[in-house]
Amino acid sequence: MLLEARGIVKAFGAFHAVDGADLLLQEAELLGLIGPNGAGKSTFFNCLSGDTRPTAGTIRFRGTEVTTRPPDAHGRLGLARTFQVPIVFDTMTVRENVMVGAFLRHAQRRAAAEKADEVLAFTGLAEQANLPATALGTPGRKRLEIARALATEPVLLLLDEALAGLPSSEVEAAIDLVRRIHARGITLIVVEHIMEVIHRLTQRVLVFNQGRVIAEGTPAEVTADPAVITAYLGRRARK
Amino acid sequence: MILLQLVSDGLLLGAVYALFSSGLTLIWGMMNVINFAHGDFVMLAMYVAFFAYTSLHLGPAIFVPLSAIVLFGFGVLVYLALVRHVMRGPMLAQIISTFGLALVMQYTALWVFSANFVSLPGTLVGGVYDFGGIRLSAARLLAGAIALMLTLGMHLLLTRTDLGSRMLAVSEDRVAAALVGIRPDPMQALAWGLGAASTGVAGALIALFFYVSPSVGDAFTLIAFVTVCLGGFGSVPGALLAGLAIGVIESLSAYWFGPPMKDVAVYGLFVALLWVRPQGLLGRA
Amino acid sequence: MRPRRALPVAVLVVLLLSPFFSFSPFYQRVAALVVLAAISASAWNVLGGYAGQVSFGHSVYFGVGAYSALLAFTKLGLPPIAGAPLGVMVSVAISVLIGLPSFRLRGHYFSMATFAIAALAELLVISWNFAGGAIGMMGPANSRSLADLLFRGSLPYYVIFLVVLAILLALTHLMQRSRMGFYLRAIGSGERAAESLGVPVRRYKLYALLLSGAFTALAGSLYAVMIGFIDPDSGFGVLISVNMVVMAALGGAGTLFGPLIGAIILVPLSEASNAFFGGGGSGAAYIVYGVIIMLIARFSPGGVAEWWRILSRRRVRRAA
Repeated sequence: MLLEARGIVKAFGAFHAVDGADLLLQEAELLGLIGPNGAGKSTFFNCLSGDTRPTAGTIRFRGTEVTTRPPDAHGRLGLARTFQVPIVFDTMTVRENVMVGAFLRHAQRRAAAEKADEVLAFTGLAEQANLPATALGTPGRKRLEIARALATEPVLLLLDEALAGLPSSEVEAAIDLVRRIHARGITLIVVEHIMEVIHRLTQRVLVFNQGRVIAEGTPAEVTADPAVITAYLGRRARK
Repeated sequence: MILLQLVSDGLLLGAVYALFSSGLTLIWGMMNVINFAHGDFVMLAMYVAFFAYTSLHLGPAIFVPLSAIVLFGFGVLVYLALVRHVMRGPMLAQIISTFGLALVMQYTALWVFSANFVSLPGTLVGGVYDFGGIRLSAARLLAGAIALMLTLGMHLLLTRTDLGSRMLAVSEDRVAAALVGIRPDPMQALAWGLGAASTGVAGALIALFFYVSPSVGDAFTLIAFVTVCLGGFGSVPGALLAGLAIGVIESLSAYWFGPPMKDVAVYGLFVALLWVRPQGLLGRA
Repeated sequence: MRPRRALPVAVLVVLLLSPFFSFSPFYQRVAALVVLAAISASAWNVLGGYAGQVSFGHSVYFGVGAYSALLAFTKLGLPPIAGAPLGVMVSVAISVLIGLPSFRLRGHYFSMATFAIAALAELLVISWNFAGGAIGMMGPANSRSLADLLFRGSLPYYVIFLVVLAILLALTHLMQRSRMGFYLRAIGSGERAAESLGVPVRRYKLYALLLSGAFTALAGSLYAVMIGFIDPDSGFGVLISVNMVVMAALGGAGTLFGPLIGAIILVPLSEASNAFFGGGGSGAAYIVYGVIIMLIARFSPGGVAEWWRILSRRRVRRAA
């Protein structure tokens, strides 16, 4: 069991953003996490990555208890994430950005640069390596986020809406990239809104609504589930 | 009896601290921007009050609102000319921008008014009254009462009015607010205006019983900061409680340890807070 | 060396050598003060420029260094410079005890906290009669040995300060290229992202603070050695922090030579205004500093270094 989250609750005062959610993830899976807006999946995601501390519940990653540990501990243990709105290090070039990730496993500058170049080639950013990171548009920045996370040599990669807002020309390349990452042996959890992507990429999907997992299964099973349809479209849509 | 005197004095002054600090917490809560010049705004207000009285012969009933209006305008101006732009920029620019403003205000005041202290006549609003052994000056009583009312008023404005909810919406989530049709820019300008107006009233009130000098800015900025820290960033009720507490702490420390130590007590409290509870009493971190 | 770098380097070298060829003691003194200011500003830059933690409280370290030097002299009869190691040790202790908890606050809050801590320190020192209270302390009136570093002209100070600055800049340059440099810059431009990449943020902020504080303390000791006098205002005053921040920001925070450039521009300006306006002149300098800060913040946060980069890029484009 690579990642075990049990009974996760995140309360903001009286409001429970996550209200008892479980997740069990094996190695080499490609798991999708979907749900309507406000369902709590982002908060749950942040609990998994260590950015938010759950009010209750436990999370174990590779057998180690990580429930209350900060994000950098997760990074060191091999759990990497990207951000929905890409955060680029704006005083550095594209390569330097990726090197920040590479330094986690390679303390020397030269080794980190080599690792960064390898990752840049893998993610298709090799040509922009010497540009300031701010020169990249949104698709480039999303790819940079992924490259940076890959440079930390993670075992598990959490992608937070990595394909959202991409023009259709870019979506295909992005899907291909995620597949190639998976082929490298990295386990993935993908949060997405675009159902086509979920169908094409993921083998198993968790559906969130109102802080809980309301359905689980293959993409086909889950999209046919009445509870899921109700959650997204309201009761009337079932007819 | 001495204790009651000290506490009363502390509470009255503390109410004024609460007033200008709630102005700071409003700005802070709205925009995550610190106004390093906040204390210098108070200083400016004190001078407005002083000159309104000595040159224009206007009484407190006029110069207090006048000061509020002048500072309101000044706050909006600072927002439009400076803050609005730097907020979009790097963190360093945001932080140093109001610090630069504080420098300019303080040293221009020093240049124009020189370092001399001046003050308004102590009996401007009345004499000293005796309440069963506790002596309170009319000036401090008036200042404390008005400050308390206005702080509560600000809290009601934010929580009970339409305008207030719009401001709070912008402070919670600028993008979401814009999506529902609330334009962030005017709301933020208004926050600066109101925040500055609170210093306008507070400064004019303080001028009734305190000396006026260009160098008071730093101390007031720090008091506002410690008060906001103690009460919680963004919380007006927190600023009120904390302001009163700080006023009392100052008053007691000045008596027990000597006047210079009152600042030490306040700043020391802050450093201790860093260790124990950085998010304050009532605030969201 | 790329052609566009050659000119500014040449100018810098000429400027740095000029005091040796000058006959004006005033010029040499200003030169020494420029380099001293550059040391503090460059030290501040490690924490405030690279790591993005804008401290308005570095005056504490400066004061610790200055007071350690003159305490070593007045209480132990040692040459003032012997107090410098003590100053550095105390600054390390302060970094851990006060600096580390203050990193719980981020951005603006951190800056305000440093301001409050500095104000507290100044007040405590004013009441500290052992160290001269509000009056302060003086250094040796007559040179007892070479170790007292009491020189009649400013040139020897200039040389010493230049050596210290060179060491600091060399260390900073090495750091910049190393993992620490990358991590600090990442923290400065995207702390959340840095954390998610496994960067131990608090630990690296502390490293930056240790380096930054130690060299600021050293600058304080050197100041006390040269000026021969220290009091709460010249040691712990908020204006010391202001100077560091303005110089680094004007020249270009987060660049290697930015603080030096800022010092070269601003120190002669303030010395000239002191000479011109007399005592009240220092007030005018701070009005100018404040305006400069606001202009930089509003129009050009990268300071002179940014202008230079923009200008040279335009020149390259025109040439292409």
